[in-house]
Amino acid sequence: MTKDRELKEYRVPSDLSEVQRASADILDFLKTVPLSEGGLFDLRLCLEEALINAMKYGNRLRPEVPVEVGVEIDSDEVRIRVKDQGPGFDVAQLADCTQSDNLLRTRGRGVYLIRKLMDRAEYNACGNELLMVKRLPKRRG
Amino acid sequence: MTVKVIQRDGVNVFQVNGEINISTSPELRKSFETQPSKKIVVDLEKVSYIDSSGLATLVEILKKTKMQGGSLGLSGLSEKVRSLFEITKLDKLFSIHPTLDAAVEKVR
Repeated sequence: MTKDRELKEYRVPSDLSEVQRASADILDFLKTVPLSEGGLFDLRLCLEEALINAMKYGNRLRPEVPVEVGVEIDSDEVRIRVKDQGPGFDVAQLADCTQSDNLLRTRGRGVYLIRKLMDRAEYNACGNELLMVKRLPKRRG
Repeated sequence: MTVKVIQRDGVNVFQVNGEINISTSPELRKSFETQPSKKIVVDLEKVSYIDSSGLATLVEILKKTKMQGGSLGLSGLSEKVRSLFEITKLDKLFSIHPTLDAAVEKVR
């Protein structure tokens, strides 16, 4: 069965002042998806967390090195790929930010939130590309 | 984002309005640094969005306040903002109150 599918790609300079603009552009592309206000909040938050991590830890805030973002929509889900040009990291090494010893830490919550709020969040083998998936409610009729 | 500081019963109330994100978190941190206090309430009633940098900034302010022997409460969290505190278990760390009055009463 063929399903309507839309794809858009973005290249975002690794400059934290670009996060809000890129996020607004991408959310504008996603404005027709049937997500609740809360679902859109989650999508925006995860997208911005992924962009910030890619800019800071992957591309080391070098504005000339872009973060590549691919956004794909079909009738079932939204898929967002965020790729940086860094060497990647081992996501298994991240400390659990919800452990009582770690609650006062000021880092490490971005990836945790992405994993909790998206329906799927997977890194590639070297850890420099993240795929985030949010399932869409079934349309009636 | 704007931050307005008012005094209520000897408590510094930081009323935040807008989004606390990677661009505005430094501004929020600065407003606490320029008006330090041992008794703080952060009123988040008019905060529509917060990201992990915003959560981290609040954790930082809580740490500093506690190190100085002070106390800090949060009030007015929307359902969505509160859910982020719950998911990250920061609701165990912060004293969270439904209203500004309740937070001031607890902190003062």
